[in-house]
Amino acid sequence: MSKKISIVLSLMVVFATLLAACGTPQATATESAQPQGEKPAQKVTLRVLVHQNPPMVAFMESFNKQFQERHPEITVDMSVVNANDLSTVSQTRLSANDIDVLDIFGFANAVQPYMKQADPPNWQQLIEAGLLMDLTGQDFVQNYDANAIKDAGTYNGKVYAVNLGRVVYSGIYYNKKLFEQYNVKVPTTWQELVTACEIFKAANIPCMTAGGKDGWPIFVGAYGLLGAIYPDQAALVEGLWTGKIKWNDEKSLEMWRKMQVYARDMMEEGASGIAGDAAPGRFASGAVAMFPGGSWYAPAIEAAQPDFDWGYIPFPGSDNPEDNKYWFGKYDQGWAIAANTPNKDAALLYLKEFSEPANYQAFVDAVGFIPTQPTAKLNTKIGAEIAPYLANFRVGYEQYWVAPKGAGQYANPWASYFKPFGTFDDPVELANKVQEDLQAGLDAVK
Amino acid sequence: MSYHFGRGWSKLTPYLLLLPGLFFYFLISLGPSIATFFFSFTDATGIKGAPVNWIGFDNYREFLFMGRASIDNLDALKRTLIFSFVVTTVQFALGLLVALIVNQKLKFTNIFRTIYFMPVILGVVIQGLMWSLFLYPLGGPMAKLLALFGMRSEFLGGQPAEAFAWVIFVQIWANMGITMMIFIAGLQTIPVELYEAARIDGANAWQVFKNVTWPLLTPSVNTNLLLNAIGSLQAWQLFLVLLGYRNGTQVLGYLIYATGFGQTSGSVTSTFRQGYAAAASIVLFLLVLVIGMTLQTFLQRREKRILG
Repeated sequence: MSKKISIVLSLMVVFATLLAACGTPQATATESAQPQGEKPAQKVTLRVLVHQNPPMVAFMESFNKQFQERHPEITVDMSVVNANDLSTVSQTRLSANDIDVLDIFGFANAVQPYMKQADPPNWQQLIEAGLLMDLTGQDFVQNYDANAIKDAGTYNGKVYAVNLGRVVYSGIYYNKKLFEQYNVKVPTTWQELVTACEIFKAANIPCMTAGGKDGWPIFVGAYGLLGAIYPDQAALVEGLWTGKIKWNDEKSLEMWRKMQVYARDMMEEGASGIAGDAAPGRFASGAVAMFPGGSWYAPAIEAAQPDFDWGYIPFPGSDNPEDNKYWFGKYDQGWAIAANTPNKDAALLYLKEFSEPANYQAFVDAVGFIPTQPTAKLNTKIGAEIAPYLANFRVGYEQYWVAPKGAGQYANPWASYFKPFGTFDDPVELANKVQEDLQAGLDAVK
Repeated sequence: MSYHFGRGWSKLTPYLLLLPGLFFYFLISLGPSIATFFFSFTDATGIKGAPVNWIGFDNYREFLFMGRASIDNLDALKRTLIFSFVVTTVQFALGLLVALIVNQKLKFTNIFRTIYFMPVILGVVIQGLMWSLFLYPLGGPMAKLLALFGMRSEFLGGQPAEAFAWVIFVQIWANMGITMMIFIAGLQTIPVELYEAARIDGANAWQVFKNVTWPLLTPSVNTNLLLNAIGSLQAWQLFLVLLGYRNGTQVLGYLIYATGFGQTSGSVTSTFRQGYAAAASIVLFLLVLVIGMTLQTFLQRREKRILG
């Protein structure tokens, strides 16, 4: 008898385990076919994913609270991840049907006809796998600028994302008090920038800071150098792929020489240890004269030190002031919806309410984006600083660049390759290395 | 012959009881390993619903032979071997030394054991955060110490060789406690009588260690060497937490993670290449297999020779 019981028990254990393992979690709500963001029929938990950007996260928390008050049947469960991890987390959570609304960067790095054997970017992979919802025809899409929708959220004629704003990343924040105190002219040329740094360094004041711990903030500040020499960055990318432009030609060498000065002489010692989120606070403390970085840092600077007086100028990479009157930047954050969301109504309602002009205006005021809704205004301080050159806004190199397979790890125009952050001390040696690494990839995909 | 579970159908009982465990072993461990091998011959992206095409050895060809990137990959492989060798030997030696010290009948040995073991329980993120703060170049404790001697460093954000050396240091600091505990467990199995007999025979401390402790620690030595070697060959988390994707610092494990999850380009719209990352994983697996098997064969022979 006991043997039979042991057999029965063991079978029960086996089947219980198998059933437990193979079961699928119950959906949080039933799918509805209602379009245009109607109120869901039952209680749902709306899962939202955003990347870490403190002012944006603070705004979203406030927006979510109001949204939940207006719609008690919806609970918003917002997750925040580091920007570097956003694409990975989006992919895994979309694949697991574990997300409803997601933050997606403006569609960039599309493969161009002259790019051989290049893989499509992650947003294209997600769309082709049927993981993003087609938003074409949704009323809230009409609230946004048609060009922004076309450039940053449309693929094969269908809208998959609404882009929430452009950002500038080729500017420098400067400390007005220090500039006045040391009688330094706000630089409009490269030479004036060099002189300004020399004055501040002589006064024992670090010239520039950046969130070098995250890697990219060291080189992002130097986009102005790249832009001053190659204002048409789409043409630059095509030239590099087709061999018409080389990273070690005379024109590029000028850029490398300036980048060395930027990394070696302008950036403060220890900048490599400062986290991206901490850099605005370091600048706002008043200890540093300048902070090359993106317009998205402005709210963090204001939050860290509300009375701090700062300005924002285009990075003067050229000795001709006219060449320095451009902004280079990108389409930043956008919203997309998971194609397989069980909470379609709630997700559409969320984007619909977010896209209402008043809410959108509050969002751009909070994060400092250049609006992509035509009715929204540049109310912010950073908006006022950007406005004089806004007509000269251009999408930057990294939004176009796709590295050929087989290219080496140095095939990019980053200032961080120079000492003290990297190993290079000679601009010519670095230029040759960068071109060699790029050429290896171009030759490999011929 | 008596058989606990009886005869007939009852004989199946132990096998049925094993089934859940086997199921999870296949599901969580062996299954993904086989799938990784399969995916290494495809252009899989890891995205649900995306087409997966059989591309033969293309991923391996690209990883090992295509352009300058393949040379960078081989550099990462060399760096992995250097990392593993240094971590294994230093961690082993330090773990043994500390175990010998805290195994003495002295005051506060339990406190010291706890202190040395504590980093193990912290977790990689906490370990990374602690050392990032300690090595903060803008007035962190280590920067202040160097400043006393008129020196300075960017530490983790500076020269790749220096940053790499710091990761080795943190890896050893983080895992030395495990090595120490295994050695302590081994030391406590050695009969006290053997030490007493050796001392009566006039053996000095070195002779006692060489002729009693070291041979009888053989099982612990083998366990530690294998665990340290295999663990360090596969290490990648500390590289992610302390350095991120930086030229000249990647080891193979981190390169696989960064490639598989689109973090190599620094762009937020980079490509998912899990088929390619799977091929790199198989290369790492083969490396671990060859080194692990060679080491195990050598250690088993040594154990047989010493302990019979």
